Amino acid sequence: MMNACWKWIDERTGLGTWIAACRERRVPGRPCLCRALPCMLAFAFAVQAITGVVMLMRYCPSTQTAWESVYYLQHEVQGGWLLRAVHHYTGQAVLVLVWLYLLGMIFRGTYRAGREFVYWSILLLGLVALAQLLTGDLLAWDDNSRSATLTRVGFLEALPGVGESLFKLAAAGPEFGNLTLAQFTALHTIVFAGAFLLLLAFRGWFARRTEKIAALSAVGSSQEPSRDREGAVATRETEKPLPHGRGSESTSGTRFWPGQALVNVLGCVILLAVVFGCALSHGVDAPERGVTLGPPADPVGFYDAARPEWAFLGLYGFSKLDVFAGDTIVPIFVIPGAVVLFFVLMPWIGRVRFGRLPLGHALNIVVLVVLLVGNVWLSFKVVAQDRADELHQRAIRENRLAAERMLTLIAHRGGIPPAGALELLHNDPKTQGPILFRRHCATCHDYVGQSPDDIKAEESTAPNLFAYGSRRWLSGLLDPKRIVGPEYFGNTAFKRGEMAQFVRDTFSDLEPEDREELDQIVMTLSAEAKLPAQSEMDRKDAIKIAEGRALIGGNEGYCTDCHQFGDSGQLGIAPQLNGYASREWMIGIVRNPADPRFYGAKNDRMQAYGAADDESKNLLTDREIELLIDWLRGDWVEAAGSRQ
Amino acid sequence: MLGAAALAVPAAAGLFAFLSPLRQKKASGQLCRVTTLDSLAEDGTPQKFPIIADRTDAWTLYKNVPIGSVFLRRVGPDRVKALAVVCPHAGCAIGYDAAARDFLCPCHTARFDLDGRRTDEHSKSPRDMDTLPDVEIRDNEVWVRFENFRTGIAEKVVAS
Repeated sequence: MMNACWKWIDERTGLGTWIAACRERRVPGRPCLCRALPCMLAFAFAVQAITGVVMLMRYCPSTQTAWESVYYLQHEVQGGWLLRAVHHYTGQAVLVLVWLYLLGMIFRGTYRAGREFVYWSILLLGLVALAQLLTGDLLAWDDNSRSATLTRVGFLEALPGVGESLFKLAAAGPEFGNLTLAQFTALHTIVFAGAFLLLLAFRGWFARRTEKIAALSAVGSSQEPSRDREGAVATRETEKPLPHGRGSESTSGTRFWPGQALVNVLGCVILLAVVFGCALSHGVDAPERGVTLGPPADPVGFYDAARPEWAFLGLYGFSKLDVFAGDTIVPIFVIPGAVVLFFVLMPWIGRVRFGRLPLGHALNIVVLVVLLVGNVWLSFKVVAQDRADELHQRAIRENRLAAERMLTLIAHRGGIPPAGALELLHNDPKTQGPILFRRHCATCHDYVGQSPDDIKAEESTAPNLFAYGSRRWLSGLLDPKRIVGPEYFGNTAFKRGEMAQFVRDTFSDLEPEDREELDQIVMTLSAEAKLPAQSEMDRKDAIKIAEGRALIGGNEGYCTDCHQFGDSGQLGIAPQLNGYASREWMIGIVRNPADPRFYGAKNDRMQAYGAADDESKNLLTDREIELLIDWLRGDWVEAAGSRQ
Repeated sequence: MLGAAALAVPAAAGLFAFLSPLRQKKASGQLCRVTTLDSLAEDGTPQKFPIIADRTDAWTLYKNVPIGSVFLRRVGPDRVKALAVVCPHAGCAIGYDAAARDFLCPCHTARFDLDGRRTDEHSKSPRDMDTLPDVEIRDNEVWVRFENFRTGIAEKVVAS
């Protein structure tokens, strides 16, 4: 039954005959792993096609969805991370295979007469593989992939005359955006992938043809010469310079089946093992497993530690050499272009002889070795430079933290908002707070508390705002020595103000029971802030705090001569203590510190960041002020729903 | 031949769509309010500010979003110098290196002094940092005409 079926198919398709012919094919010499390279390349393509198609089914190319869908693949789709990692590392492996193939052809001299087209198709295959790395890298649309690709594509702008147009065509617009992603997706999954497949097929076709001619020539060596034969003899000679008279034996070689076929399978298994080894090298536990996914790309920002993948690192190092000062055309276009041209011409150069010396061939080998060693050396050099560069390492650390933060925010919200994941980062106090503080507050204020997030003011002329409103901060404020120190009023007009005077007069050389009273004042006032980090303490000390209110305000109170607290005191002399350092109070003082509720006319140099009703007239938007304050108050979500 | 001629029709149609990005221009040339004069350090330390304006990305219009950044530094009581943060070499973002009190591009380590001039004879940058010449002070507000410039060339040309 099976046989009949098979016969029916074979008659109509010629499949059986073809398979038999393949088995009968003879390969020169013994089975060899070096001859498994074409098969391994085809296998790698199959791996890329399978993993790629599935990934494409889970991918949405647009600036609001590209990173988001890759996030989903990496963290939510079962086994998605492995798919990504295998696709990533196989892509890199293809480049290694192409290099090995070219090296083999050139060292053995089989790139010359007769096999030029085989050689050229492999060369082109290598270039297409590079294009695949470039286009594929962008699709993840994380900080590094956007910035590193933008830099590389941006080099097009340097070309005289056509530069800008070429960039626009490559990016499908004047800037990287939605259409860049759509275009790169099409290039990666259809254009270059198709070109790769075609080139593989062409290589096979050309290789079969040279084999056929070689076989014909061997059979016909005793018969009258033909054009074919001449070419073929040349091929044979260059492939393996055999002693004269042994040419006819070469047809023997070995059969493809089973020896070479088994070696081919072995080659593919080795490839797969290496790829899986790399893919699993970061373990199988989230979130580090597989290939890194950074935070989503900022549409106009730039990632400071952006670097291309290793395949481009040599070129990157090359363009960084001192000899190319101020020039991009020569290191990026002229020299790499010349190298590619040289590779194209190699089969002809290889035929040049000086007397009996194969000078051209020797030149090819020298150039190849120099290129390979130079490439590896430059790659290692830039990696070493980056390792030693503290700014670079810090940018990478911050990037990792942002990526982790992104996961926390998505998990806390339970999903990504429709406008994209960046919206979460942009509305996250923990992320935006330090940025806003550096930009707007750190001209005068410190944020220093022996933590890695310390921000030092350019010129510290105002209080340190670390843990502002906390018990710790307030006990410093009410300490006669510290209130006039640089952390509080030391560098402000209030150094000689009534508050500093009052603290000195009242709280110097305290008796133990007075000190307890002071602590109670601090505790009570600090409870007004309702700081998330102190909520537990505030609850525990609720009774003391309730009693403490009488120490601040009322008839006996220390503070209400100047400050308003509860029903006592009045506004306009000193900042209001009702809700002191609470979210609403802090937003108020940042909006307008000269408001009678705060410093009024006594305000010392602090700007109003949001005094106008029309937001566009303000230095900070309402939302920015909220983010800043929430960050200062340590009010943000942390992993597993806990609060800082 | 006839087949090839027939294919030319869809090919031409496709080509038009493919070439359409050529007609689009970079968003720039708008005069934007950046910050207030008071928020700039008096000692001339540069500070980076985002430029807020509308940005179009193909079919998406973003209202009032950052479209880029500038470095502002005070060079007189009411004079402000604006420098583009985009490195003229390869378009990376130049940063202010507070320790060295100069500008540093992280991609190919080009350094610039506070006026934006290259300080390294082997600098990868083909020109000094780009100055945004159009800076206006309107009652304590700093307004800057934001522009992008072509990267990788020695002349400063506004990108279009």
